Amino acid sequence: MDDMPAIRASGIRKRFGELEVLRGVSFDVRRGSVVSMIGASGSGKSTLLRCINRLEAPTEGEVYIDGVPMGFVEDRGGRRRARSLAEINRLRRDLGMVFQQFNLWPHMTALGNVIEAPMRVRGLPRAEAVALGEAALEQVRLAEKRDAYPAHLSGGQQQRVAIARALAMQPKAMLFDEATSSLDPELTEEVLAVMRDLAQRGTTMIVVTHEMRFAREVSDEVMFLHDGVIEESGPPGQVFGAPRSERCRQFLSKFIGQAR
Amino acid sequence: MFSDALRESVDLSLFWDYREVMLSGLAFNFHVFAASATAAIALGLGAALLRVAQALPFRVLGTLHVETFRNAPDYIMLVWVHFVLPLLLGAALGTRIEFHPFASAVIALGLVYSGYYAETFRAGIQSIPRGHLEAGRACGMSERQILWRIVMPQVVRRMLPEGLNQLVSLFKATTIVSLITVPDLMYRVSMVTATEMKPLPLYTGAALLYFAVVFAAASLVRLASERWRRRILA
Amino acid sequence: MGNWERLVWNQREVLLEGFLVTLHVCALAFAAAILGGLALCLLRMHVRPLRPLATLLIEFFRATPIFVQLMWVNYVWPELFGWPNSFFTAGWVALALQSSGYLAETFRAGIEAVPRGQREAGEAVGMGPALVMARIVLPQVALTTAPAIVNQFTVIVKSSTLVSVITVQDLMFQSQKLVNVWYEPIEILTATAAIYIAFVFAVSACGKRLSDALRRRFGIGSG
Ligand SMILES: Nc1ncnc2c1ncn2[C@@H]1O[C@H](COP(=O)(O)OP(=O)(O)OP(=O)(O)O)[C@@H](O)[C@H]1O
Ligand SMILES: [Mg+2]
Repeated sequence: MDDMPAIRASGIRKRFGELEVLRGVSFDVRRGSVVSMIGASGSGKSTLLRCINRLEAPTEGEVYIDGVPMGFVEDRGGRRRARSLAEINRLRRDLGMVFQQFNLWPHMTALGNVIEAPMRVRGLPRAEAVALGEAALEQVRLAEKRDAYPAHLSGGQQQRVAIARALAMQPKAMLFDEATSSLDPELTEEVLAVMRDLAQRGTTMIVVTHEMRFAREVSDEVMFLHDGVIEESGPPGQVFGAPRSERCRQFLSKFIGQAR
Repeated sequence: MFSDALRESVDLSLFWDYREVMLSGLAFNFHVFAASATAAIALGLGAALLRVAQALPFRVLGTLHVETFRNAPDYIMLVWVHFVLPLLLGAALGTRIEFHPFASAVIALGLVYSGYYAETFRAGIQSIPRGHLEAGRACGMSERQILWRIVMPQVVRRMLPEGLNQLVSLFKATTIVSLITVPDLMYRVSMVTATEMKPLPLYTGAALLYFAVVFAAASLVRLASERWRRRILA
Repeated sequence: MGNWERLVWNQREVLLEGFLVTLHVCALAFAAAILGGLALCLLRMHVRPLRPLATLLIEFFRATPIFVQLMWVNYVWPELFGWPNSFFTAGWVALALQSSGYLAETFRAGIEAVPRGQREAGEAVGMGPALVMARIVLPQVALTTAPAIVNQFTVIVKSSTLVSVITVQDLMFQSQKLVNVWYEPIEILTATAAIYIAFVFAVSACGKRLSDALRRRFGIGSG
């Protein structure tokens, strides 16, 4: 039971009409480990994350969270049936997602954003949700901004609130889709610091990123996605230090100053 | 009873019997529309230029014009122009003046819509970057040349969709002129209703006819604006 | 100045009474237009089988002149549907119809303007479609469209002058009645026009302040 992966992707394929964006992706994420996903723009990183929490339904393949399949249930007779939207929504709570564009809800305060799902989705009483929310804001070092509206927060602060919003659901794993890509360099660091913190506390994380230094320092495993398949994967030392694939080497050479 | 009424409303033959009367009424809508549109655009441009002028008194005057007319209901303006304005003018000139209903309609609608047009023009004018004016000055163009060669062509492009929509609204507003006895379509309908005593097919016919005209015009405007937008903002 | 006192100031109670009727008609029309507009918009966007009907109604309400609609509701509806049974009802219903068509389009634009990521953020924390609509989309639509909704109220006020034609005793009606009593239109009609203009001006000014406040606070809405 203990070596059951927190997240298992098995043979994920995704096509949009003619375009096949993911062409069979399989990997495991051990509980408490950090996996970084790197790759060129358009290689399918976002699509992969969105398939994992089913913002997109994969065309083929299946995602398992703690061994539970996201897309179907098996009844006693071994027959499969597709899960309903409500069931998928229930499973999704176990995966926190952080978007490149923050996607904070502008009509709610920072705390309002954070407690919305604990209250409305998990059905916690307000006081409990607030306690949870304040703890989450504390964790991203924004306790004092609880009553600010998103429009009054910097990009870095907004992204940290978005992280707190995901944390407040107490997910089993966190998914980050280029969480720092729309931030100025000086704001990037504060968000990365929060993510480092989470990693050190043993949060299971999949991090899509262009921050090679972060990927190298924080990850347990790095995966290089190219053209819809995992072209190379391994411990960061190996992928960054001695990539076996020529494409991966080429890709990394663009980041050379940053990565080593 | 319900189905009788329904059949009667669907049966527009009575409206059709009076088609010539009705169409000549509709022609009045178009006449009022054309004349008041011209007045509204000319006055509106004037008021917009006042509002963006350097001198404060001009700006005050322009603002007063806009805020008065665009906040005024069409109907009260129509009544005011028809019944009050001639008396005021007559007192000022020392004679007895009366407006022909058609003239009152054109003046009233022209004034109201000049308020809307002034705002549209002003938004268009103010959307032009200062740099364009400065570039014109730097080339040694006169202020008048800058206005007509650089500012206005851009203003017209920018305001075209909204300006056309306002024309459609203006046409819809022309339906109230029957209330001061301009013999437009609505006026004819109420006259025929008074003799035939059958409001159902007559008013339904009028509603459908107006709907057809306005919907066609609005669709054309929508189509044109979309093309236009794609061409200049692409 | 004597004329003003005699014809306007001394008639203030009559005019006020009319103004209150105007407010009443407009308030009913406004509330009905918001509900009707929202219903039409949601039917058009989310209920496939009813989409053509909703679209037709929206287009018909928008493209038919308000005066024509008023006459149509007043003369045709009672025969067709046995309702409305009073001029007052016919008045606010006609005003509501036209505005519901416009508001339906306003709401649609507002819903479409909510960025996709906003909904996805909701789905990602396990919210279902109804919850996403109720908690994320519609509140934002309410905020972004608030200025346009206020503006629609000014349209209703302006159009409401026409209900006097079907003898609803609003401000316009009372004022014309006074003119017919005294045969001195200058002061009465000028004062009436001024009241309408001032009222509409005040409402629009509130709308502008509202949209500024929304932008400052939530960073949404364009004004
Ligand atoms: N909903 C969609 N419909 C059609 N094509 C899509 C859709 N979403 C993504 N794609 C296409 O799939 C491909 C992969 O997109 P994806 O966003 O996953 O790339 P990415 O690796 O995240 O790139 P980036 O680094 O730029 O974020 C792209 O070619 C994109 O155009
Ligand atoms: Mg991406």
